[in-house]
Amino acid sequence: MTEEVRTEFHQLMDQIRADLVQMGGMVVEGISAVTVALLTGDIASADQIITADDEMDLLSLEAEEKCVELLALQQPVAVDLRTILTDLRMIAEIERSGDLVTNIAKAISRIHGVELEPRVRGLIDRMRQQAVRLTAMTMDAYADRDAGLAAVIGDVDDVLDDLHGEFLDAVFDSRNNRKITTQQAVQLAVVGRFYERIGDHAVNIAQRVEFLVTGQVPEHLGAERARARRDQDESL
Amino acid sequence: MTEERVTEEREQVPVSTARIDVSGVTTAATTGTRTEVNTVFECSGVDVYYGDFRALRDVTLDVAEHEVTALIGPSGCGKSTFLRCFNRMNDLIEGARVEGTVNYHGVDLYQAEIDPVEVRRRIGMVFQKPNPFPKSIYDNIAYGPRLAGARKSALDDIIERSLIRAALWEEVKDRLKSSAYGLSGGQQQRLCIARAIAVEPDVVLMDEPCSALDPIATGRIEELIAELKTDYTIVIVTHNMQQAARISDMTAFFSVQLNERGTRTGELVEFAPTSHIFTKPDDQRTEAYITGRVG
Repeated sequence: MTEEVRTEFHQLMDQIRADLVQMGGMVVEGISAVTVALLTGDIASADQIITADDEMDLLSLEAEEKCVELLALQQPVAVDLRTILTDLRMIAEIERSGDLVTNIAKAISRIHGVELEPRVRGLIDRMRQQAVRLTAMTMDAYADRDAGLAAVIGDVDDVLDDLHGEFLDAVFDSRNNRKITTQQAVQLAVVGRFYERIGDHAVNIAQRVEFLVTGQVPEHLGAERARARRDQDESL
Repeated sequence: MTEERVTEEREQVPVSTARIDVSGVTTAATTGTRTEVNTVFECSGVDVYYGDFRALRDVTLDVAEHEVTALIGPSGCGKSTFLRCFNRMNDLIEGARVEGTVNYHGVDLYQAEIDPVEVRRRIGMVFQKPNPFPKSIYDNIAYGPRLAGARKSALDDIIERSLIRAALWEEVKDRLKSSAYGLSGGQQQRLCIARAIAVEPDVVLMDEPCSALDPIATGRIEELIAELKTDYTIVIVTHNMQQAARISDMTAFFSVQLNERGTRTGELVEFAPTSHIFTKPDDQRTEAYITGRVG
């Protein structure tokens, strides 16, 4: 028999949740769009993606302002406090993922006209697939407050890390076979790194979702060990 | 930190087991150093009845020395009823009965030979509404020490010390002989605190001491509570959760359970360090209450 006595406050928190899910959705769409532009050398689309990042910046600032206002005016505690702290951390992570999409878009003009080998193209598409999957899973875990789903994101990210390694091998094979120049190889390697970083941000978000639900982050284990070592040093 | 861990840590601390003669006038036993957490009250399986009606069910918790323990919960959860168990104020209510044990420094407060008046001298109380006597500021504070047989020559010192301790001295030192009724609400409440500590109690119980005060007066009382805990153990009932969060070391959350006979009985849901209660409470009912999703 739960009766709400802080309806407006909780509605405002739900609104921030919806804003963040929308921002996550923009990242997911951005990863796919920028990959198509990359593989087709579509500079016009790349420019559109770069411009669209302004919208992401606006949304993230607005969401942050809402969080600060709730902290100042509503004195959140317990799960409400954890939610707003999580939201604040997540805004930065999602916004950064959006920047990485923009970075890929900016790289398109630098490698324009380069004939990519089928293996390289295939790996770019598989990195897209994994980056989209990770971001979407993480946002689902956040929207549904699903700590179990959040806990497996790290393992899913290993797939993207492996693909990234394979991609680097493929790029430098291309370069060694003189299909692309060293300069172009470096540009492609940087693009691969952007996909890989999007995965890392998803992992960070997933850890904050675990904190939201359980009050614990994986770093607690490491912190416990450091604390034990510190105590041991002091007792010597 | 979980409740179990708190209990565990407390158990490691040597608790004074010496029987203390509560009827005596010796000051509170403070065995060991101040860094140890000594237990002042050990409550075990406490039930409170008003006639046939069980108002509070099976409360077990310890109150640590020189800490502020806050009791929070919805109306009717029994938090004030529980507070009154600590100095036998329930004795004054017709038909009230306390079962279970309330040990004070290892002594059962509800033994037949315990003098409730002496208990209330050792365990003072401050109420929701300031209730100064219709006397001068001086006589309000002198009242308790006089009853306890304090010498006239010692009274001036006691008055000054108590008023300084209650952060009221500077405001009233030039008008000690004027009526206490001329003070503002916040000043009257600090006067009541000065009156409570004039008899050198061990514990100060506070039943919503700020609910009739404005925010500035409330802030002063809160600062005072933080200072007082160096000398006293404080148990406070408050409806203001932010106040409990600001001032207490430990928080006990009480709730109301509707029983099969259609009556409501209060119970202790969760007792843990205040920072734990307000960031990651263990019980869903605590979380629901403090975040405003109450049933």
